[in-house]
Amino acid sequence: MPTRVIMPQLGESVAEGTVIRWLKKVGDKVERDEPLFEISTDKVDAEIPSPAAGTLTKILVKENQTVEVNAVVAEINGEGPVTAGVSVPAHEAAPHPSGVPAPPRDHEPAASPAGAPLIAPAPSASAEGAGPKIRSSPLVRRIAKEKHVDLALVKGTGQGGRISKEDILKYVAGRSAAAATTGSVTPAAPPPVKGPSPIAFSRQVQVVPMTPMRKQIAEHMILSRRTSAHVTTVFEVEMTCIAETRAQYAAEFERRHGLKLTYTPFFAKAAIEAIKQFPIINASVEGDNIVYERDVNIGMAVALDTGLIVPVLRHADEKSFLGLARAVTDLAERARSKRLSVDEVQGGTFTITNPGVFGSLFGTPIINQPQVAILGVGAIEKRAVVRNDAIAIRPMVYLVLSFDHRVIDGAVADQFMAKIKASLENWSEAVQ
Amino acid sequence: MPVLTHLEAVRQGIWEEMERDPSVFLLGEDIGVYGGAFKVTQGMLEKFGADRVIDTPISESAIVGAAVGAALMGMRPVVEMQFMDFIACGFDQIVNMAAKMHYRWGPAVPIVIRGPSGAGVHGGPFHSQSNEMWFVHTPGLKVVVPATAYDAKGLIKASIRDDNPVIFYEHKFLYRRIKDDVPEEDYLVPIGKARIAREGTDIAVITYGAMVWTALEAAQELEKEGISVEVIDLRSLVPYDEEAVLSSVRKCSKVILLHEDTRIGGFAGELAAVISEKAFEDLDGPIFRVTAPDTPVPFSPPLEEYFLPNAQRVIDAARRLAAY
Amino acid sequence: MPGLRAATIAKKVVEPDAKTLERMLYYLKLTREAEQLLERVLYRQGKIVGGVYVGRGQEAIAVGSAIQLVEGDVVFPSHRDFAAWIIRGFTLRDVFLNWLGRAHGPTRGRENTNHFGDVRRGLIPVISPLGDTCPLACGTALVQKQRARGKVTLVHFGEGTTSRGDVHEAMNLAAVWTLPVIFICNNNAYAYSTPTRQQYAVKDLSARAPAYGMPGMTIDGNDVLKVYDAARQAIKRARAGKGPSFIECKTFRMTGHSAHDAAQYVPKELFEMAAKDDPLARFEKELVAMKIVDSKRLGQLEQQIAKEIDEAVAFAESSSLPEGADAVKGVYCEAGCVWQATGV
Repeated sequence: MPTRVIMPQLGESVAEGTVIRWLKKVGDKVERDEPLFEISTDKVDAEIPSPAAGTLTKILVKENQTVEVNAVVAEINGEGPVTAGVSVPAHEAAPHPSGVPAPPRDHEPAASPAGAPLIAPAPSASAEGAGPKIRSSPLVRRIAKEKHVDLALVKGTGQGGRISKEDILKYVAGRSAAAATTGSVTPAAPPPVKGPSPIAFSRQVQVVPMTPMRKQIAEHMILSRRTSAHVTTVFEVEMTCIAETRAQYAAEFERRHGLKLTYTPFFAKAAIEAIKQFPIINASVEGDNIVYERDVNIGMAVALDTGLIVPVLRHADEKSFLGLARAVTDLAERARSKRLSVDEVQGGTFTITNPGVFGSLFGTPIINQPQVAILGVGAIEKRAVVRNDAIAIRPMVYLVLSFDHRVIDGAVADQFMAKIKASLENWSEAVQ
Repeated sequence: MPVLTHLEAVRQGIWEEMERDPSVFLLGEDIGVYGGAFKVTQGMLEKFGADRVIDTPISESAIVGAAVGAALMGMRPVVEMQFMDFIACGFDQIVNMAAKMHYRWGPAVPIVIRGPSGAGVHGGPFHSQSNEMWFVHTPGLKVVVPATAYDAKGLIKASIRDDNPVIFYEHKFLYRRIKDDVPEEDYLVPIGKARIAREGTDIAVITYGAMVWTALEAAQELEKEGISVEVIDLRSLVPYDEEAVLSSVRKCSKVILLHEDTRIGGFAGELAAVISEKAFEDLDGPIFRVTAPDTPVPFSPPLEEYFLPNAQRVIDAARRLAAY
Repeated sequence: MPGLRAATIAKKVVEPDAKTLERMLYYLKLTREAEQLLERVLYRQGKIVGGVYVGRGQEAIAVGSAIQLVEGDVVFPSHRDFAAWIIRGFTLRDVFLNWLGRAHGPTRGRENTNHFGDVRRGLIPVISPLGDTCPLACGTALVQKQRARGKVTLVHFGEGTTSRGDVHEAMNLAAVWTLPVIFICNNNAYAYSTPTRQQYAVKDLSARAPAYGMPGMTIDGNDVLKVYDAARQAIKRARAGKGPSFIECKTFRMTGHSAHDAAQYVPKELFEMAAKDDPLARFEKELVAMKIVDSKRLGQLEQQIAKEIDEAVAFAESSSLPEGADAVKGVYCEAGCVWQATGV
């Protein structure tokens, strides 16, 4: 029975791959694991090893041809023993899981279903076609239904990221254990944060396994970098007006609303107004499409001692200044006390981050996928600046926009920032 | 309590039923003077006489037919097939006469057809088959497949007392290789109830006959890797203990169906369908089968070894399934 | 070819008494009338579905043999031996209920034609793979022998059936074990469309009997008294513990293999010849000649038979068909089984 060689899926959201080069031709003998062909995908280029030993009998996809993931690209006539009728033959060639085409992690070639069609049927939710699919099982889906779990939030540790029974049960246990889930920068909520596993010492190093949250962050950062064409633009904004406004209204504000009047709502409001003028800033990219989000959900990054969390202020554009102020304060408080709900850490369309809180002048933040821009606010400092050809001392702040140059050009980004600058420097809105 | 082999347990069961019920008698080739090709009926001719232990000509069809006729007259014949492979020579009488008689016009046909089946002794294609599915597929018959010596005795007794035609498979490889504490007294093992041969939580291996021992061997190995395997010994195929099967599947969420019989039309296919239908939402992975390939049983040892499912193949399947 | 007048073995034909003779006539005529209705009326009206197999022209074989059975004896009649059922105590109602597939017939609608029996009445029917009953006959005969009450088993089959392995295995077994079983071969010259010359290579099938170690005879199967005599001898042998016998009854199948077979492969002359040799006509004539019956009595018999048949058919026709769901009951014999409820 011939072994089918398939286009592997390198990366979760990858839907297709292009054959770049065949390393063998029809009729050639090939060893198992010997490099057979090279492919290119959205994410990565890779050399694909042969899933079986034998003779390459058919090449079905030519060089530079693009096919869907899991499409059959070639056939190898096996030299191995007849595997028909034997679910787990002792002499079967492939030692790694066959019959289960996994959407593997980066750079890991997919295990193609070698000529043992007798084991697992194709997973029901394998990632063919566009968009990531969640792989689980009937049992897992039933548990998810019974426990009201959004499978998108559960991390799968099974093959190819499949959510196994263990995974979902752990998630459910962690969810009830912790009052609020610890969200993360990625859409998927991780299982509850655990302390690091036992530490191994050697003479010179200390090996500490990553926490799930850390792993999530690490993955997302890399993913974001690879997804977006990151460009950063820096604007310097004079905060005199805001400072004076604050000074004027702070006490009253606190007395009346029980809230401290911080700088954050000012930045948020300015950003929202600018987004209204430049909706591309509030979009996302899907394949060859730009998806303009109707809602403006602003993520406000909060630093915790365990990492970074981005609670989302939903429908920020519908809020008044007071509403924004309240929401911002409330979210930050609950973020720190770990009382955020799952909804509150997902669905953001734009993010504001504040490196300035620890003194950084400006940063080059990484875009929070699947958004296309992120605003960084540096430290507000009194600086010597030139006004009317004379040196003046003004409170200044560097505002930074990292944006995705796939869909936002520099000119647009700068105009967006200019608008924010103008709003902040000429604040006229009521603060009540 | 005495320790008996699988074979001795069958023998003791038959002996006890012969003593207990004068309507029980035996027919078969070489069972009388010779005591049976495998000596299952040794000593019975001397004890019970030629009227009750009958050496027959080589006429499987006539022997089965005569047994049916005798059963209609109120007797309870036990027919030995020297090798269960030869049951094919009496196939018509079994599936057309014995199996359908009761359904058609009501009389009971309380016959037992028993004999050694299975491979692993270099017997070649005609002394090694597992042909139980021919009869599982024929409504009106019961099919019994004990794996332990204890069950062999209890089940042969239950089969002889059953009012239906029972096809009783002993495994020739197990005959002298497995031993068990077998009580000397009268006891029955009910037909249609499975046995949990080993408790586990991660993967259920559902099997019968000699493969129960293969599964236990694999389970022991897998325990070391932290995979907890539950082994269910079906003990009978018609009727079979569906509830035990489903219960084990629900507990473990992953299942391997194992039999020495060939693949297509094997019992695993039937179980897989039932599990998929009735326990779909309890499955955390696909249903795996480990079976012999679809070939006759080959003779030469390396061929036969390849043919037979073994512990390693079960282990491989379990590892894959565990990682799914 | 029907060379029908083979010699009898005994010098003198032992005749049964007058009462028995009249009974035999009654059964012959009853068979002929009932089968006529089954094959040429009810089937063609669509009231009987499936297949119809009758023993037209061969009625003497069942009547002459079965009439000699007593309680404890067992008969395995073939589909050409209608009378055996009535002789052993089944009613015409039983017969028609079954043919019409009714719920309260002896098979609850699960079997067709005369595929029903009763162990207590000592009648076990064929299954469609003909010849399978021969080994069963050895089984019943084995038990009869062991119980040593002088009981016997008769098993009927056609000449075509003798080509099946089961018949040979059974004949061998019967002889080796010295069983009280009588093998009665109805040689009606055609097995479906296969004439005897294409079925076997011996002149008379009784030649096979000594080959297995039992006596055999070939007789005129259309002479009910000859059948009676041959059967009597074989039964006597068997009751005495002397073992099996083989009786070949030469006759002719005066209709198709089944109701849907026009038997056009049979030369018309053979039908014409056979009609002249009709066992019913012959016996009637003989009884009249012996003054056992007269034409008035014949008329009475015919009327009685017609009435009985009509009543039974009407009963069966007005009886209910089985419920579909009954199909899945009674596959296994266990407590509460439908068969136990009906007391079969």
